[in-house]
Amino acid sequence: MINCEYLKPVDLQEALKFASQFADRARFAAGCTNILPDIHTGKLRDCVLIDISDLKELTGINREDDFISLGSATTVAELLNSEIIRNEAPVLWEAASRFADPVVRNRATVGGNLAYGSPASDMSVPLLVLDATVLVQSMEKGIREIPLRNFFVGPGKTVLSPSEVILRIKFEPLSDFKFYYTKFGKRNAMAISIASLAVGIKLGKAIEEARIALGALAPIPLRALRTEEFLTGKPVQTEILEKASEILLSEINPISDIRGSKEYRLELTRALFLRAVNNILSLK
Amino acid sequence: MEKVKIKLTVNAREYELEVYPNQRLLDVLRENLHLTGTKEGCGIGECGACTVLINGDAVNSCLVLAPQADGKEVVTVEGLGQGENLHPLQEAFIKHFAFQCGFCTPGMLMAAKALLLKIPDPTEEDIRKWLSGVLCRCTGYQQIIDAVKEAAEEMKKC
Ligand SMILES: Cc1cc2nc3c(=O)[nH]c(=O)nc-3n(C[C@H](O)[C@H](O)[C@H](O)COP(=O)(O)OP(=O)(O)OC[C@H]3O[C@@H](n4cnc5c(N)ncnc54)[C@H](O)[C@@H]3O)c2cc1C
Ligand code: FES
Ligand code: FES
Repeated sequence: MINCEYLKPVDLQEALKFASQFADRARFAAGCTNILPDIHTGKLRDCVLIDISDLKELTGINREDDFISLGSATTVAELLNSEIIRNEAPVLWEAASRFADPVVRNRATVGGNLAYGSPASDMSVPLLVLDATVLVQSMEKGIREIPLRNFFVGPGKTVLSPSEVILRIKFEPLSDFKFYYTKFGKRNAMAISIASLAVGIKLGKAIEEARIALGALAPIPLRALRTEEFLTGKPVQTEILEKASEILLSEINPISDIRGSKEYRLELTRALFLRAVNNILSLK
Repeated sequence: MEKVKIKLTVNAREYELEVYPNQRLLDVLRENLHLTGTKEGCGIGECGACTVLINGDAVNSCLVLAPQADGKEVVTVEGLGQGENLHPLQEAFIKHFAFQCGFCTPGMLMAAKALLLKIPDPTEEDIRKWLSGVLCRCTGYQQIIDAVKEAAEEMKKC
């Protein structure tokens, strides 16, 4: 038996009140591109859908001092249409342009993508490499700021409690970094990532700082912190990059599934990483 | 389950309806309004057969929660032409044999319509990208792309 209810809160406060009232049955409904397939396939049977898609507190792409702030209900299509994102966060823009297809992008939201917690979440990879912070709120816990790198817990699991809503996502655009994003899937459109990777490098005489984020290569989207640390202060040399790719492979834990075997994903990661770094260097 | 009251415009006609909380816009169109031009292929957002316009943007109607269509303006393939007159896209699809079984055609037409609303003069690359989420198991796509190109040309003349 399917037992769903639908509530349309007038504002954020009411949304939080509903969420707290219905606790484990509460589901914030944004674009519903995950929720409806889950209802259709019987994964989700009992829920109170709290419609947050029109809440103004959750919309808009703004510049706030040194930060860019995205409402959680921003759609992937809105990211692509935003001059701020195109010019100041090209790594996020690139990932948006590779997300699903233009039709799904009109509904899919950034907040929904993070909250769903898929290991292959395509918005998480560019946002991780930008070291984004997630701003969340609930009646019980008030407002919390969570670094995205601590947000994911396991496949489909995040640190969010059931009544906690993502308000906004904030990051510094890091104009002194050069970035590269790549998503590898079975076809160009509408493919779930077999692997995705974003690299950011701040280059002086040597590598001043490196950031690496990976999707679909571990139970959660993650930052390769040990590889980043290894690269910091190192000159750009083939042997260094080879060594870095070895460390990188030890930081991930890919599974074998219908899209590719574990061994394939490991080899792929090495190739994508080296390709990413070479691309960044050629941008100089 | 308690029903939800919604008001929406479909193909320029206003409707007031009561829908289930978990109903999809696709079901509203086909079952409540008997607009069966919009097709259900996969039911999970993958095939594009159910594509319609909401406020001018293409969406998969199987991925739209019916209560969220409240206050929106929907256009389906039935609203593409005007009465007996086919839309230039429909004319071009016929001319180029851009379908065989026709199951993907409503989705293709609506995705193409959304494209031409945003980019009246699309390149072949634009067309391929915008239609990439609509799957056709019959034509091999080339005829469809040719048809969209020609429709864009025709529409520039009017
Ligand atoms: C055909 C198809 C192709 C897809 N392609 C891709 C792809 O290329 N890459 C990719 O990463 N994903 C893809 N997806 C998955 C999906 O579209 C994305 O995860 C999307 O971003 C989810 O956003 P939504 O607004 O639709 O979420 P919803 O379905 O509305 O919600 C998803 C989950 O997040 C919760 N939630 C939503 N918003 C919030 C919030 N603000 N605060 C707290 N919780 C919230 C909901 O309660 C629910 O549990 C695809 C899906 C389909 C059907
Ligand atoms: S039926 Fe909606 S995309 Fe397949
Ligand atoms: S004409 Fe048969 S699926 Fe496209």
